[in-house]
Amino acid sequence: MKKGRARSTFIGLCITPALILYILFMLLPTFGVFKMSLYKWGGYSNKKEFVGFNNFKILMEDMNFFRSFQNTILLIVLVTTVTMTLSLIFAAILSRERIKGENFFRIIFYIPNILSVVVISAIFSAIYDPANGLLNSILSIFMKGESSPILWLGNQNLVIYSLAIAMIWQAIGYYMVIYMASMSRIPESLYESASLEGSGKIHQFFSITLPLIWTNIRTTLTFFVISSINLSFLFVKSLTNGGPDGATEVFLSYMYKQAYTNSSYGYGMAIGVVVFLFSFGLSGILHFVTKREHLEF
Amino acid sequence: MKRKKEMGFHTLYRIFIFVTLGALTISIIIPVSWVILASIKENSEFYGNPWVMPKGIYFQNFIDAFHKAKMGDYFFHSLLVTSMALIILLIVSLPAAYVLARYSFKGRKLLNILFMGGLFINVNYIVVPIFLMFVDGDKFLMSLVGNRFLLNNPFILALVYASTALPFTIYLLSGFFVTIPKDYEEAAYVDGSGYFRTMMKIMLPMATPSIITVILFNFLSFWNEYIISMTLLTKDVKTLPVGLMQLMQAQKSAANYGQLYAGLVIVMLPTLVLYILVQKKLTQGMSVGGLKG
Amino acid sequence: MKGKKSISLLLTGSMAICLLAGCSNAGNQETASQKEDLASEKTTEDPVLKVAVFEGGYGTSMWTDVVAAFEASHPGITVELTIDKKIEDVISPSMKAGDYPDVVHLATGREAGLTETLTKEKALLPLTDVLDMMVPGEEVKVKDKIIPGFLDTLATNPYGDGITYYAPMFYGPCGLFYNAGLFEEKGWTLPSTWEEMWALGDEAAKDGIALFTYPTTGYFDAFTYAVLASAGGIDFFNRCMTYEDGIWESENASKVFQTIGKLATYTEGTTVANANDDNFTKNQQLILDNKAIFCPNGTWLPGEMANAPRADGFTWGFMPIPAVNEGEAGYSFCFFEQMWIPAAAKNQDLAKEFVAYMYSDEAGKIFAGSASPAIQPISGISNYLTDDNKLFYSVYDNGANVVMGGFAATTPVEGVSMADTLFGTVNSIVSGDKTVDQWQTSVEEVSDKLREAME
Repeated sequence: MKKGRARSTFIGLCITPALILYILFMLLPTFGVFKMSLYKWGGYSNKKEFVGFNNFKILMEDMNFFRSFQNTILLIVLVTTVTMTLSLIFAAILSRERIKGENFFRIIFYIPNILSVVVISAIFSAIYDPANGLLNSILSIFMKGESSPILWLGNQNLVIYSLAIAMIWQAIGYYMVIYMASMSRIPESLYESASLEGSGKIHQFFSITLPLIWTNIRTTLTFFVISSINLSFLFVKSLTNGGPDGATEVFLSYMYKQAYTNSSYGYGMAIGVVVFLFSFGLSGILHFVTKREHLEF
Repeated sequence: MKRKKEMGFHTLYRIFIFVTLGALTISIIIPVSWVILASIKENSEFYGNPWVMPKGIYFQNFIDAFHKAKMGDYFFHSLLVTSMALIILLIVSLPAAYVLARYSFKGRKLLNILFMGGLFINVNYIVVPIFLMFVDGDKFLMSLVGNRFLLNNPFILALVYASTALPFTIYLLSGFFVTIPKDYEEAAYVDGSGYFRTMMKIMLPMATPSIITVILFNFLSFWNEYIISMTLLTKDVKTLPVGLMQLMQAQKSAANYGQLYAGLVIVMLPTLVLYILVQKKLTQGMSVGGLKG
Repeated sequence: MKGKKSISLLLTGSMAICLLAGCSNAGNQETASQKEDLASEKTTEDPVLKVAVFEGGYGTSMWTDVVAAFEASHPGITVELTIDKKIEDVISPSMKAGDYPDVVHLATGREAGLTETLTKEKALLPLTDVLDMMVPGEEVKVKDKIIPGFLDTLATNPYGDGITYYAPMFYGPCGLFYNAGLFEEKGWTLPSTWEEMWALGDEAAKDGIALFTYPTTGYFDAFTYAVLASAGGIDFFNRCMTYEDGIWESENASKVFQTIGKLATYTEGTTVANANDDNFTKNQQLILDNKAIFCPNGTWLPGEMANAPRADGFTWGFMPIPAVNEGEAGYSFCFFEQMWIPAAAKNQDLAKEFVAYMYSDEAGKIFAGSASPAIQPISGISNYLTDDNKLFYSVYDNGANVVMGGFAATTPVEGVSMADTLFGTVNSIVSGDKTVDQWQTSVEEVSDKLREAME
């Protein structure tokens, strides 16, 4: 009996500080976002007017919001598929092949992930520069005589992909290290017996590596959704600011624009609510769709 | 004949591997070294082709950035906030993750779901509600004790940082704690070790690789964070990324490119150093647990 | 040593913040923080005027000088000056907490839009009293000292009801900048109508020089206002600014959209890619490199590009926006900044005195004497102009028509922004993603929505 109480006290003591901080600085503010989404408020005065679901009603007719919705989904799909494919390939190569300097590649590939977005944006705005940028100066070697330079950040059909490239560049190393970590747990014997059976490297990758790290891939899908929404905002904010003419506006950049620049704080918070529900829902769907029988090694 | 063909495929495959690895390596090394080289260029070298090598080492950029743009002060603010936040985070999250992973009790499942749900809360939209909460809190404190300390307080900022990092950290650490066999604790209890002692002396040392991973991840996100910092620290005490944003703002009217790139280097250097120091442990920490799903 | 010092500074800094509850930021100025210390030592009866100033291209020293002069002429009064390049970020947190500065110098049209937000929220003090006050130390009323015309615009009377809420500060003409040396070298003459513009554009294209570039679409405000006024006169311009029904689909408006639409085809090819806050100087550089002829801008441009390399024989030239209708003079939009008093300011009387003081000869002289001169819209100011500035400020003397003002203030409309629709779309016109007709239609739609929110 006495032991039981000591146990409960210990559990309580361990959990309570985390719970208090979490409720105070995560749950309550989130509740605040939901609450303010029902108000019309400019952000400064005391004039807060309860408008019910009116903000959401306006949202349904706001074409600019739909454009930011589209861009966000495009970025999530594009960045997730490309980053996941490339980082799986690199992880497989680095952990399966005996390559000189494996450690070197692993260290280098992770570097973009430790850089501040402000630094990355400065790098990419120099790369994408139409007149003197690295990309165009390389391309001009191959396309002699072609006079008009490619406007990586100016062409509205291109700019979202330019943004995606920067995001992929930043994320590959992170996911590669995660996948490498779980690949290293796959017993070598599985590959050996597959080789004996005459199975090729690519076949091994699909029949052994992929199924065995499947749970890990599922988990990273959730991270992809969450971080794409977040990072697309940070990149847009420092690289294009939503331009040209709203072509790169994403969820959170549009939210900021409405809440602060357009003095529609409540409306901005309504967008915040949609983002929350969207990321929650999308992760749930992905989690459900990717369900496979769990494999143990 | 067949063997030869296989060899051909093999060489091709090796070439493919080296080309892809090489391409990615170049795409990372060149831009990063370009920033470092740009930081020692003189201002007049910034017009025209940005890929020209610097004429000499112009170290004045760093001196100017440190003094005129106050990057030195901001550097220390950032160091202070980041280290306080990391300490708070570890003190709070380690016991919680440990208990959530290894003890069964009423409400444990609910708590796990609660913390997992936190992964979906985006810091970028809760920052203003947090700010408004502090505004109200400060008003209340003002009337109560004639003093206010919630806003413009590096410690409070560190507390907010730690809180926003809780869901991911607890998730990562419990992922590790779950993998440890029950035997360790049982042996400890038999030896008469209490709950607290067992956690401190047996479990936490085993978790060192995961703790290092947590420290690195969170160091990066706290050090590079600017949205919360910009909102909660509005006066003279600023963190480095906010200072850098300001420097970039100033650069637009004054065209101090050299200082700007010096600022970029000042921001990225500590993260590079820390990363190089702990990079070996990083893979280790992830492989022993963490992101197992 | 340095580290130790910084940490102790940090600690005292944060303590000071805790102690000085109610005081807004000391900015980066040592003098200001000293004053703050003084202010906290004094008894509360001594008035402390809190002035928040946007640090534009003019620098900080002229403000500290003006404040010192104000304090000298008003014994017993302490001014606490906060000056910052991002003044919005510095003062708005305290403002949300109910702690307002007494006077704010911050123009409209900033990205953060703080002035607009407070206007939309009706949180400004009417300045009617100030206009009837005597300029401190002088025998003339404020409204008579200010150059005629400056108080009749939407940029001073944002609700369009004749009541002044913004005090006009630091004016300057906006127009097209060019390389006068290039014109001399090529033997071109300056175009005064758009027809002549197109002819020049075709001529220059043979030499591989584009007719036009712009820093960002944000610079199209002054440009478009001038074209609007040129197409239909000042009255038409004001009707546009107050969202009159159908005005944006009128014949005159169509002329404006088509002119800018045609100009888009003469725009330098890389402009759109650099038309953002990080890279706009690259577009301005095109003028210095003789890659484009004209760039819309304000008088601060030569200072902004002072360190940039340039073509041989480069000299700055400045002209009004060409006339839309044959045989008329061109227009130049007159830009000015705004100073205002929040309705929640504590020391309103003192704040009014400070605003009135801004129009004294004493203050005007200090502002004009700054390293990059700030010109107050007061009579007699031309005595203080330097030669460089005479080039810009003489544009009206040389026959250009003046247009002032901006869009009328409205309550916020969710998801609707005139600046984005009217100016931001220019990027899409240049890149060919939208047609001029689509642009015109959407501007009228936005105008309809905003009209309802005007009250």
